Amino acid sequence: MPATTKTNFELVSNGILNENPIFRLALSMCPAVGISTTVMNGIMLGIAVLFVQVFSSCTIAAIKNYIHPRIRIPTYTLTIATWVTVIDLVLAAYMPAAYKEMGIFVKLIVAFAIITMRLETFACKNSVPASFWDGIGMGFGFMFGMVALGFVRELLGMGTILGYDVLGFRPLLFFVLPAAGFFCVGIMMAMFNYMEIVYNRKRRAR
Amino acid sequence: MKQIIRITVGLTVSCLIAALVMGSVFVITDKAKKHNEHVDVQETVLGLLGYTKSHPAPSDLKLYSLYRYILTDADTSTLGYVLPVLKGDGVGYQLMVMDLDGQFIHQYPLDMTPEKASEAAERSSALQEVVKPPKTFVYADATIVAKLGKKRLAYLLPGEFPGFKTFIHVMLALDPSFEILGLEITEQEEDPGLGAEIKQDYFKNQFKGKSFEKVKDLHVVKEPLPDEYKAYLESKKAKASPIPEGEVEAIRSRYQDKDIYALTGATISSKAVTDGVKNMVAKFAYRINRLDTVISSRHIPVAF
Repeated sequence: MPATTKTNFELVSNGILNENPIFRLALSMCPAVGISTTVMNGIMLGIAVLFVQVFSSCTIAAIKNYIHPRIRIPTYTLTIATWVTVIDLVLAAYMPAAYKEMGIFVKLIVAFAIITMRLETFACKNSVPASFWDGIGMGFGFMFGMVALGFVRELLGMGTILGYDVLGFRPLLFFVLPAAGFFCVGIMMAMFNYMEIVYNRKRRAR
Repeated sequence: MKQIIRITVGLTVSCLIAALVMGSVFVITDKAKKHNEHVDVQETVLGLLGYTKSHPAPSDLKLYSLYRYILTDADTSTLGYVLPVLKGDGVGYQLMVMDLDGQFIHQYPLDMTPEKASEAAERSSALQEVVKPPKTFVYADATIVAKLGKKRLAYLLPGEFPGFKTFIHVMLALDPSFEILGLEITEQEEDPGLGAEIKQDYFKNQFKGKSFEKVKDLHVVKEPLPDEYKAYLESKKAKASPIPEGEVEAIRSRYQDKDIYALTGATISSKAVTDGVKNMVAKFAYRINRLDTVISSRHIPVAF
């Protein structure tokens, strides 16, 4: 893939829609299934991924010319691990309130496929600003996916949204359990694909 | 060959850079992090004793920590308590060793200030001065004694026990007659929406007010939580209490001797917490009684 010719806006919207990490790329499914039980979890993990993705993308884009191609994957892992550790420590030291909520999510990130994949396919071939916007798009795309899943699962599983009781009862406890994550992801992926088909058909008709 | 060297050097250099970055961030943030953890424990303790920002703790409330160590010498194990003792106007520390049957063996003064005593590493180095090899010591647990004026107000026990997935860390507050004053879940990784509900008021507040006798025989019942009881348990959180003034006391006494109502879909987590608390209370009551017997018979001028 040569260096991108997309504008910044296209890079961001690309991450949210065309290449949404969860629904289109089907990457990072473990958190998508495991953590997306509530909207709040989705937002927290989304923010954490956003920061790590942006920082790692920028770092790799900046040092891409110095990385020996044979060791690029270990370098990516190291970069991500370093940023995760740094963010974790800084949060714990200077933002204890935020750390209480986000601490466990930040530590989860090292193993996320989406970040490594973005470094491999995008950041190591593009400039720092383009990687920055791509990271923002991917981060928000991931957050959007997690929140959408969390919304459905929290509403159906616990009858609440963001902890507020909206239904007054628990319709289907099953939706909170990990297995329901697969169903939700599957159904939403189908919806995304359907929308794409409809969109393409309209464009062709024009 | 050239390739191998380049790869090796490249990997080593990137590892070194990463280590350097992580290490320096750790060094910079370590102090603030420790401070935050300390503040966090303090807040949990005060919260359990019923003090909040709008209702601050009185100035004569003092918190003393005692630490239990297990000392081993060849095959025999003894218990070592690091106790805060009165020394002039301040607080000093001494190590009191007793055997497993509660018989006093020896006591050693320790050269520590209260600030140093709260650091595990500082305690270890102070203990190394008096516990000479081949004797070894292992940290067991800590207890915080809250003292108001000259009276003991409460014991605060940090503890952990296995939950459904991993260990659940809690802080338990007991009054001097071992009645439960409160329970706080400090760390847990149970399933969100199911086991994680143990940290909700309507579960953890059920333990509040259970007497020592009741706790010894505490069980989990798989019955739905009655609405009025739930409203009572959550009344602290609600801005306007939905329960009329006069009824609060009636509801409290009605449910005081009831067992713990299990969480829907999380019986194992509910049971784990109940059994864990039961265990902590029973063991602690046994230990503190033995400790107090020795302290009073040897006239150790303890601070708590």
